[in-house]
Amino acid sequence: MNALRRDLSVAIAIARKDALSELRGRQAAGSTIFFAAIVLLLFGFALGPDSRRLAEAAPGLLWLAIVFGGLLTMARLHQLEADDGAFEQLALYPVDRRAIYAGKALAGAAAMLVLGGLLLPVVAILYAIPVGAAWLPLLAAVVLGAIGFAAIGTAYAGLTVRMRAREVMLPLLMLPIVAPLLLAAVKATVAALGGDPLGELGSWLQLLVAFDVIMLVVGAGTYGFLLED
Amino acid sequence: MPQTTIYVAPRLAGTLGTIPPAVATVELARLFGRSAALAGISLTVEMGRTVALLGPNGAGKTTLLRILATAIRPSYGSLSIDGIDALADPELVRGRAVYLSHATAHYDDLTAEENPRFAATMFGWGAAEGLPVVREALATVDLEAVAAQRVRTFSAGMRKRLALARILVARPSLLLLDEPHASLDGEGMALVDRLIGLWKDAGVTIVVASHQAERVASLADATVRLESGLVAEVGGAGVSTAPVGASPRPRAAVAMVDR
Repeated sequence: MNALRRDLSVAIAIARKDALSELRGRQAAGSTIFFAAIVLLLFGFALGPDSRRLAEAAPGLLWLAIVFGGLLTMARLHQLEADDGAFEQLALYPVDRRAIYAGKALAGAAAMLVLGGLLLPVVAILYAIPVGAAWLPLLAAVVLGAIGFAAIGTAYAGLTVRMRAREVMLPLLMLPIVAPLLLAAVKATVAALGGDPLGELGSWLQLLVAFDVIMLVVGAGTYGFLLED
Repeated sequence: MPQTTIYVAPRLAGTLGTIPPAVATVELARLFGRSAALAGISLTVEMGRTVALLGPNGAGKTTLLRILATAIRPSYGSLSIDGIDALADPELVRGRAVYLSHATAHYDDLTAEENPRFAATMFGWGAAEGLPVVREALATVDLEAVAAQRVRTFSAGMRKRLALARILVARPSLLLLDEPHASLDGEGMALVDRLIGLWKDAGVTIVVASHQAERVASLADATVRLESGLVAEVGGAGVSTAPVGASPRPRAAVAMVDR
C-alpha cells in the first residue's frame, strides 16, 4: 500500500513537472496546435469544396491531425528530458520505473486530450459538422484515443529520444502500431456523428479500451529497459 | 554561513555484523562499440573514505562513475555497493549512490525551487517535509535569492550550484562526483570543498573525479589514477586494487584487456 502511494506521488510529480514545462514553454505547445489545425485546413483544400465529401472525410481527417500533432507532442515531452541530460538523472532516482512511465504517459495523455479537445471544434467549423448532439460518445472516443496514443507514444519517444535521427524514427516506428488505434477511433467517431444506426459504437469503444489496456501494460513493462543506456 | 543539514542513508551491516566495503568492483570492463572505456578495474573502497579519481581525458573516470551510479551496466565484471550486488539490485543501490554528472539535469522551464522539489519527491521526501529541506539546500548553495527564477536564465555556475542542491536533498551513502569544481567561480569551488568536508564528516563515502589533482587530493584520503581504462596507481588509506588477471574472468574480457 505504501509502495503504491509512493509510486502514485512519483507519477503525479513527473506529470506535474511536464505540464508546467508545457504551459510555460507556450510557443511549442501552441505551435503544435496550430500545425494540426493547418493540416486540417490543407486536407480541406486537397479534397475540394464538395461539402458532403468533406463531412464524410472529417472523422478520418480529425484523427490524422491528432496523430500528427501527437507525434510532435510526444517527442517534445521527451525532448525536455534530453535537453540538459535529465533523462539519465530520471533513471537514477530510487523509484519504480513503471511509476516513471505512468507519469510520462499521464502527461502525454493530458496533452493529447487538450489537442483533441481543441481540434474537435476546428473540424466542426471547417467541415460544417454538427457535433452538439454526439458530444458524449465523441468525448469518449477522444479520451480513449488520447490515452492509447500517449501509452504507445511515451514508450516510443523514450526509445527514440537518444537516437540521432529521432525526428524520423519516432513516426517511422510509431505509425504502424498506431494504425489499429486510428481505425477504431475513426470508426467510433463516424458512428457517434452518424447517430450510431448500426449499433457499432459500443464495440469500437470497447476495442479502444482493450487497445489502451494492452499498450499501457506493454509500455509499463518495457519503459524500464529504455531508461538503461 | 547558512546552516547545512547533511542527510545520509543508514549504514548497512554485512554478514556477521561486518561492515561491507562501500565500493567493490571485480574486473569491471565497459566497451563502447569496439573500444574499451574500462578494461578491467578491480577496486575496493572502504566505507566513509574520500577517494580522488585522477587521470587524463579518456582514462575512463566518467565511465567508472556512471557504472558505479548504475547509469550504465558494465560489459564484464561485477560490482557491489555497500554490499549490495549492483547488477542484480540496481534499484536498491540507487537509493544510496548519488551521482553528480557533467550534465546538470535540470528542467529549464521550472524554477530553481521547483527543480530540487521535484528531486526531493523522487528521493522519497513527502511534500510537507521536503520543502524545508529544499529551502535549506538552496540557502546552502546560495541560490535563495533566485529561487523563483526559471533555470533557463541561469549561468553554467548557477546550474552547477543547483545540481549540488539536488544532491543535498538526496540521502546518499556513496557520493559520485564528476568534476564538481568545473564551471564554478572561486567562491563556488570553496562551496564544493566545504560540502565535501561536511559529507565526509557525516560518514558518506565519496569518489570524486577531477582534473584539479591538488585540490581534490587535499580533500581525499586516497587517490586512484586511471590510465586507458586501467588502474595505474593507488595511494592513500582505505582503497585497494588487484592487478588485471588476478581473478577468474570471462575470456572475452581477457582478449580485450590484452589487446
